[in-house]
Amino acid sequence: MITEAEYHPTAEQLGGFARGTLTAGMNVVISAHVELCKECRGRTISLEAEAAAEMLRSVPETRPQSKDFSGIIDSIVKQPQLQTDEQASDPVTEIHMLEHSVSLPKVLAKVASEGLVWKKLAGGINQASVTLDDQTQCEFLYMKPGSQVPVHKHQGSEVTLVLDGSFSDESGHYKQSDFVVRTGSDIHQPASEEGCLCFAVLDSPLTFTKGLARLLNPFIRYRFRRATAAAAH
Amino acid sequence: MSSAAKKDMPAVAPRTSAATAAARDPDSDESLLIAVGNHQDRTAFNALFTRFSNKIYAMGMKLTRNDQLSHDLVQEAMLTVWQKAPLYDLDRGTAQSWIFTLTRNRCFDILRKMKRQPATISADDIWPQEGDGDSQLVHEEVGTMEVEVCKIESFYGDLPAAQRAVIEQIYIHDRTHEEAAAVLDIPLGTLKSRLRLGVGKLRQMVGTEQ
Repeated sequence: MITEAEYHPTAEQLGGFARGTLTAGMNVVISAHVELCKECRGRTISLEAEAAAEMLRSVPETRPQSKDFSGIIDSIVKQPQLQTDEQASDPVTEIHMLEHSVSLPKVLAKVASEGLVWKKLAGGINQASVTLDDQTQCEFLYMKPGSQVPVHKHQGSEVTLVLDGSFSDESGHYKQSDFVVRTGSDIHQPASEEGCLCFAVLDSPLTFTKGLARLLNPFIRYRFRRATAAAAH
Repeated sequence: MSSAAKKDMPAVAPRTSAATAAARDPDSDESLLIAVGNHQDRTAFNALFTRFSNKIYAMGMKLTRNDQLSHDLVQEAMLTVWQKAPLYDLDRGTAQSWIFTLTRNRCFDILRKMKRQPATISADDIWPQEGDGDSQLVHEEVGTMEVEVCKIESFYGDLPAAQRAVIEQIYIHDRTHEEAAAVLDIPLGTLKSRLRLGVGKLRQMVGTEQ
């Protein structure tokens, strides 16, 4: 059962998604929200139409070095045309977390299809990282019922899409399909009473600000560097 | 269900009508694209190539800052236009929007390949084909039919004959889109448009009734 989202991507994020200018990680999390959110699907269609008009207005700054385009046309029209959309057989669409399974938006099912490795973090949080590009850190996060993430703030921005269950922080309560955006100036402490599965995209590591959790900071930066270094190869 | 159906309308109707209006002009991008899809019309494809290749090149330069990649983008995007033209119909919006999304997707894949980023996901996973939505729509409608079958039967007679014929082929004779298009002797794109319009109308009628 999908509930209607109350929290959505910003206009800038959705615009970048429609134009194709975002990182793969950000595109994936927005795509997953758009699949769950009728309102954002409609907005995306309008934004694509605007971007298309923008493309038609643009004039090349440099003329293409008059290569022979007619050669290209000849080779293209020799290719067979498609009569139906090729639909790759659906990969995993469900993710099993303890006693229940959650169905995933298609793009995340694809992301998860190569297998997730779950790691236990402090405070009842489980995390499975995936590498989508060299600029973001992406992960599935599972918060056990009653769990709490240590107080932290962000250096870049963090986007969290709720896939199942719910969590809360100082600013609100977030349910399935909600798209939560946090930026550098926010300090927050998410907690989940009923348990929660999320997909999060971070464009820079977290900084913990309180207590022993501060000890985690260098490790997190290390992990982030490792994740991005792995992507670069 | 019925309220969701009504909500759908504003998002879809305007783009369809803009495309439909443009398609009346035989020289519009829409008419050319349909000619390419229906009869592999090379003259129409040449015209589209002339209209769009420089724009695609400019978009490539903006996103990649690289002459060679931008040329590759023109080639790949126009190849995709040729290959997928039979799948285009007016419900997918204007030809320029459709070509833009194909170009954006090819560009994303070209850049990822160049940066050697993990191949886990491609543009088509991020921006799903409308075809996927199609099957979802039909899927949803099958459920609707089971529940609302009596009502739908009574409304069904009010549909324009062309739409009724398509719905009959798909839902009553249980044919695939391709088979139904062959039986009715109409292009696949036309069949899909009529199916969507017919199903949309039925949905609307059921919604109004409740």
